[in-house]
Amino acid sequence: MDNGFWLALLLVSAGTLCMRFLPLRWMQRHLLKQKHKGGLAAIPGWLSVLGPLMIAAMLGVSLVPAAAGWSAWFATLLGALSALMAWLWTKSLGWPVLAGVSSYGVVILLARITTGS
Amino acid sequence: MGWRTGAREATPLLGGYIPVAISFGMVAVQAGFSVWQTILISTLIYAGASQFLFVAMVAAGAPWGLVVVMTLLINARHVVYGPSIAPWLPKSRWWLFLSHGLTDQIFALALSRLPQLPAEQRLGWYSGAMLLAWFSWVVGTAAGAIAGEELSRHWPLLGEIMPFALPALFLVLLAPRFTSRTWSIALGSTIAVAMLLTLYGFTNASIPLAAASGALLFYLAKLHARTGGRPDG
Repeated sequence: MDNGFWLALLLVSAGTLCMRFLPLRWMQRHLLKQKHKGGLAAIPGWLSVLGPLMIAAMLGVSLVPAAAGWSAWFATLLGALSALMAWLWTKSLGWPVLAGVSSYGVVILLARITTGS
Repeated sequence: MGWRTGAREATPLLGGYIPVAISFGMVAVQAGFSVWQTILISTLIYAGASQFLFVAMVAAGAPWGLVVVMTLLINARHVVYGPSIAPWLPKSRWWLFLSHGLTDQIFALALSRLPQLPAEQRLGWYSGAMLLAWFSWVVGTAAGAIAGEELSRHWPLLGEIMPFALPALFLVLLAPRFTSRTWSIALGSTIAVAMLLTLYGFTNASIPLAAASGALLFYLAKLHARTGGRPDG
C-alpha cells in the first residue's frame, strides 16, 4: 500500500489546504479591490448568513450522543442547559464549557453507577 | 498578547480534540497503518471526519482514487470558512500555512471572537488558537497510536465525557446570535435538521445540508417579514 498511500496522502493534504486557503486568499483580494475603489469592503450577504448556520449545524451534529440510551440524552440536555445558564451568568467562553462538561459527566457517571455497567 | 488570548480561548477545544484524536490513533493503527503514517495523516490532512473515512476506506481495500475523491468531498465545506472570516484577517504571507488550521471548530471560534478583537491582535489570536488546536490533535493521535488501548483501559469514561466540550462551546458561540425571530427560526431549524440527519446516519452530509436548509428558511422568513408578516430585525 506504500506508494498509493503516499500519493493519496499528498493529494488529500494538498486538496484540503487549497480548499482552506484559496477561497480565503480570493476574498482578501476581493475586499482589498473594493477598498481601493473607495467602496465599502464587505463580504456577500449570503456568506454572512451561512457562517453562523454552519456553526449551528456543527452544534446539531455534536449534540447527538455517540452512545444510545436515555441517560446519554438526559446528560446532553442537562449539559446544554448548564452551559447556557453559565453563559447567561458569566458571558465568557471557558466557564460555560466547564459547567456543561461537568454536568454531562455527573449524569453519565451516575447512570453507570445505578445500572452497574 | 493576542496569541496568548487565542491559545487560552481555544483551550476548551482540547476536551473535544484529544479524546477523538486518541480514538483516531487507535483506529488507524488497528487498520494497518504504522505509528508514523498515522501521525503524518493527522499532521498533514488535519480534518477529523475525513481522516476516519480515509483509514476506513483504505482498510476496506477501496481504490486510492476513490479514497482521495471521497475524503476531499467531505472536506468541501471548508471552502466557505476562509471567505466568512476574511474581513477580520490582516494581510500576511503566513496565511498559506495558517489556513491549514482552519478547522470547523477554529472557524466557529474565529467567526465569533475576531470581530470583538482589536485589529492588531487578530493575527496573533488566530495563530495561538490554531497552533494549540493542531498541536493537541497531533499529540492526541500519537498517544492513541502508541498507547491508545492502555489509555482507554485506565480512563474508560474520559473519552465519553470530554467530547461534550465541543457542543458546549458551539452553544456558547451561537447563543448571542439568537437576536431576532428570523435568526431564531434559521438557527433552530439548522440545529434540528443536523440532529435528525446525524440520527439517521448521514453525519458527513449533515453540516452542509442543514446549513443550506437553514439559509433557505432564513430568506423565506425575511421575505415573509417584508411582504406583510411581522416586522423583524
